[in-house]
Amino acid sequence: MDRRTFLKIIGSGIASAATGNLLTPGRTLAKEGPSAKELYGILVDTTRCIGCRRCEKACAEVNGLPIPDISEKANESVLKTMRKTSPTQYTITNLYKTEKGSFYVPRRCMHCNQPGCVAACLVKAMRKRPLGHVTWDLNCIGCRLCMISCPFDIPKFEYNKAIPRIQKCNLCFGRYNKGLVPGCVEVCPTEALMYGTRRNILEEGKRRIAQNPDKYIEHIYGEYEVGGTSHLYLSSVPFEQIGFRKDLGTVAYPEYSTGFLYAVPFIFVLWPIAMLGINRATKKSKEDEGHHEEKGKH
Amino acid sequence: MAGEKLETVDIVEEKAEGPSIKSFGNFIDFLKKELKPKGNIATPFNIISLPIMLLGYVFIVLRLAYGLGKPVTNLTQEFPWGLWIGFDVVTGVAFAGGGYVLCFIVYVLRAEKYHPIIRATVLNAFLAYLFYAGAIVLDIGRWWNIYNPMVGNSFGVNAVMFLVAWHFFLYMLAALIEFSPTIAEWLGMRRVRKILGALTLGAVIFGITLSTLHQSGLGALMMMAKSKIHPLWYTNFIPILYFVSSIFAGLSLTIFEGSISHKVFGPQIDEEHHKSYDDIVVGLARICALTMFGYFFLKAILLVHEHAVPYLDSTMGFWYLFEVIGFVLVPCFMFVSGAQQKNLSTIKFAAVLTIVGIILNRLNYTFIAYNWYVPLSERYWPAPMELVITASIILSEVWAFRWMVNRMPVLRKPPAWAIEKEH
Amino acid sequence: MEELFTYYDMFATKGDEYLIIIAVLVLMIVFWKFLYMKPY
Repeated sequence: MDRRTFLKIIGSGIASAATGNLLTPGRTLAKEGPSAKELYGILVDTTRCIGCRRCEKACAEVNGLPIPDISEKANESVLKTMRKTSPTQYTITNLYKTEKGSFYVPRRCMHCNQPGCVAACLVKAMRKRPLGHVTWDLNCIGCRLCMISCPFDIPKFEYNKAIPRIQKCNLCFGRYNKGLVPGCVEVCPTEALMYGTRRNILEEGKRRIAQNPDKYIEHIYGEYEVGGTSHLYLSSVPFEQIGFRKDLGTVAYPEYSTGFLYAVPFIFVLWPIAMLGINRATKKSKEDEGHHEEKGKH
Repeated sequence: MAGEKLETVDIVEEKAEGPSIKSFGNFIDFLKKELKPKGNIATPFNIISLPIMLLGYVFIVLRLAYGLGKPVTNLTQEFPWGLWIGFDVVTGVAFAGGGYVLCFIVYVLRAEKYHPIIRATVLNAFLAYLFYAGAIVLDIGRWWNIYNPMVGNSFGVNAVMFLVAWHFFLYMLAALIEFSPTIAEWLGMRRVRKILGALTLGAVIFGITLSTLHQSGLGALMMMAKSKIHPLWYTNFIPILYFVSSIFAGLSLTIFEGSISHKVFGPQIDEEHHKSYDDIVVGLARICALTMFGYFFLKAILLVHEHAVPYLDSTMGFWYLFEVIGFVLVPCFMFVSGAQQKNLSTIKFAAVLTIVGIILNRLNYTFIAYNWYVPLSERYWPAPMELVITASIILSEVWAFRWMVNRMPVLRKPPAWAIEKEH
Repeated sequence: MEELFTYYDMFATKGDEYLIIIAVLVLMIVFWKFLYMKPY
């Protein structure tokens, strides 16, 4: 290679590194290109869940949250009400009584393929990691737009603290590096929770449906909903009956804001030009042209 | 003749106006003098507003100490945004829209008729962003990180909020530059005044571009709440609706604030300005009417486009029509009638109705038509402390406005040495 | 609708876009002056 080519390569390398790193060093997933690493997720088989809540206890232990009482007596009373996740509970199980019987449904962050919370975050405190974990970080300013943008209402805010955090399941991001599966998956006694790559668990879900057409309805919740999620659910009954919304659509949530975001450069360029033009056009022609002071920040 | 050299005027008017500030010490002395109240301290307005403001400051300390939970606010996991974001910030910024619209009219379209009120309007816009957009610091849970979107290595360029945050900051600068000639005149700094005057057009153009984007941006923030906002309000074109409504929201507030200012600061205003004021208000009324006409039919088109017409037959449907007909269509016609008959009272009343309509609209998107299906007992209503702090912020802004108008050539004619050249 | 098994950042170019916008605005001032410059 000659000196010219060498310098060209170095030059363009510096330029792209500069622009890429200048604004978001260390936080631009695109720097790694379309990731060869695959997304991980959990397949939740609601026909296997027995409502023991061991997943809730394990989650609390792993994340340093208050440990729930999961004795049979406690479960009986707790499962009487519909619960939502909270700042101290990343995952909860609810009981649904349907004509086909009672079903227990564990819920937590869906770790969407294109999360609304990630798109909403102005400081990249909410991030989608290469393997799919959606995590929250301490540079958060507490604006709570992630809460508004989540179709599943998952991020929870610690309102009563002077130093509040956003709390939600992070798919046990810290455990992955240690080669461990998420805490909830590890303790599930009935294998209602299956952890693996999204490709594999989707395949498994489809296999179960194909092999037991009477047991499962032919739909995997999260396959296409909101552009696809990493938490996939199997059910015996229509999903509305076990607390899932059917009206969320298949459009990835960030796409709802791209209409505006993509218009921004056009306005930034065209508005000043139009206004300069109009200002010029409305100028009284009696005025001496060359004299005109046009110093200014546009 | 415009275009005459300033130097000859300088010599004649040398000691006429403005303090002689040659050093920082001079400036401090001057400021101390200016900080003394002018006029009666125990006015009814002061007696009522001062305790509220002080109570608000105490509550702000409580909010910082105890966080955003009850009893400071009534925010919940279902309703993360309430009065402070919904009213102080989002509605407040819509009302500050008078600044960029009037700057467009006066500096770009060169409609000199409106020149007399430009400074008061720009001042209001600047203070509005300072106080109301500044109120954001109160509402965000981890306020010590507020500078994060500005510095650091994790710019959330994916976020609409990132754009809105930067624009608030940049617009404050642009509005300050637009207002700075007045400050220079107050301080008697002639050379500085000349330089700042030359920056006005650039700041105006920058400001209008920024305003277009962040007024619509505030609407774009709600785009991902599609599953939570009632179908009568949710549309792909929320940003455009916010932008268009910010035009008549800002001008309505200009009319409203102007009518109060002209009474309170009447003595400062010269004969010529007083005479032209009625004409100005009629002109603004016409602009509002025209924009509201367009806005109303935009909403109608979107109603059809989003297949939302069936929803009109419901409680929320009634509430929607109440907002759009009662507080957009009705004031629109009142503006027309007031302009035709040059009836200032009609116009002022229409302005008030419009202001109420904007408040309803913005609060609908924040916590009324947002999560509309949540039962009444679990809904968000502003807590007493939220209301007091909001009132305190607004009153503080009014006090700042009054302080500046009484001392700077905002409504008064500027000093003779500061003749403005054709821009 | 293909299955999604890897993550793709749809906002990857936005940072660069904003930088270019800033550059364009500055260049606009230069260009405007150039447009109305007196010929030599």
